[in-house]
Amino acid sequence: MFVYEKKLQYPVRIKNPDPAMAKYIISQYGGPDGELSASLRYLSQRYSMPYEQVKALLTDIGVEELAHLEIVGTVVHQLTRNMTVEQVEKAGFQDYFVDHTAGVYAQAAAGFPYSAATFQVKGDVIADLAEDMGADGTTTKEQHSPKNLVKTHN
Amino acid sequence: MQNNDSCSYKEGPLPSCAPLAVPMLAAQPCSEPAYDSADALAKGTLFPGLDLPFMDYVANGPVENTPQAELMALDFVCQELALYLDTHPDDKEAFKTWKSFSALAKEGRKRYVEMCGPVTRTDTANFDAWVWPADPWPWNGGRKAEKK
Repeated sequence: MFVYEKKLQYPVRIKNPDPAMAKYIISQYGGPDGELSASLRYLSQRYSMPYEQVKALLTDIGVEELAHLEIVGTVVHQLTRNMTVEQVEKAGFQDYFVDHTAGVYAQAAAGFPYSAATFQVKGDVIADLAEDMGADGTTTKEQHSPKNLVKTHN
Repeated sequence: MQNNDSCSYKEGPLPSCAPLAVPMLAAQPCSEPAYDSADALAKGTLFPGLDLPFMDYVANGPVENTPQAELMALDFVCQELALYLDTHPDDKEAFKTWKSFSALAKEGRKRYVEMCGPVTRTDTANFDAWVWPADPWPWNGGRKAEKK
């Protein structure tokens, strides 16, 4: 069961559209190392975990990843709202725009739609935790991007 | 293999007859320098070693002192302590700290709801009308929280 909280885990306030930056950030939404992958990875690996401490940890982290997903979605939304045709063209944002306009779509920066092929659930404690460590290594770096971006645009 | 004769050929000696091919990650030293808490909240990490800027973007400025920021900070402490407690459930000191911060977060949430509207749908019961759908939603900037 999930309860929605009508607030962001971390505030996002971007004043000016920047579709060029949105082209990068969208990958953190629906790309291979994105928050959607992270969330589904942890929430799906829970079922075959034999230890209660790990069940709790995967649940609590998986839920938090959904909060991150909302932050990143907000960043993309605010980077693309009120953008002009000129800005779309100058940023090379046409490929995204023709299919999704200013909608937030779960895709990688290279354009392929979100895929569960970006993570694994093996049903094996060691294999799954090793996958989690690798995955978290990739996001440790990227999770700073939306926050830093917001500050820059303030 | 020296004193791990009991480990079979399928296992390695660390930490004790562990399966082979387990990846190793460098452990972060306990003595690493840390930001103060306000700085850490703005930067998104307590540790300078983990403060990895995205491209040339740099985090600047402190988090605003609003009821929203206050609640965010308290929720952040509760979340991080909870993750620690998940794997250290017998740490009584940490549990005590979590309990006190949980109480603070509960109060902060109450103040925030009074000032800015419902956070959960259930909070709407404190209002005279069904205000749950009211703009702005979080991605549109969220409720304007007045400065203290």
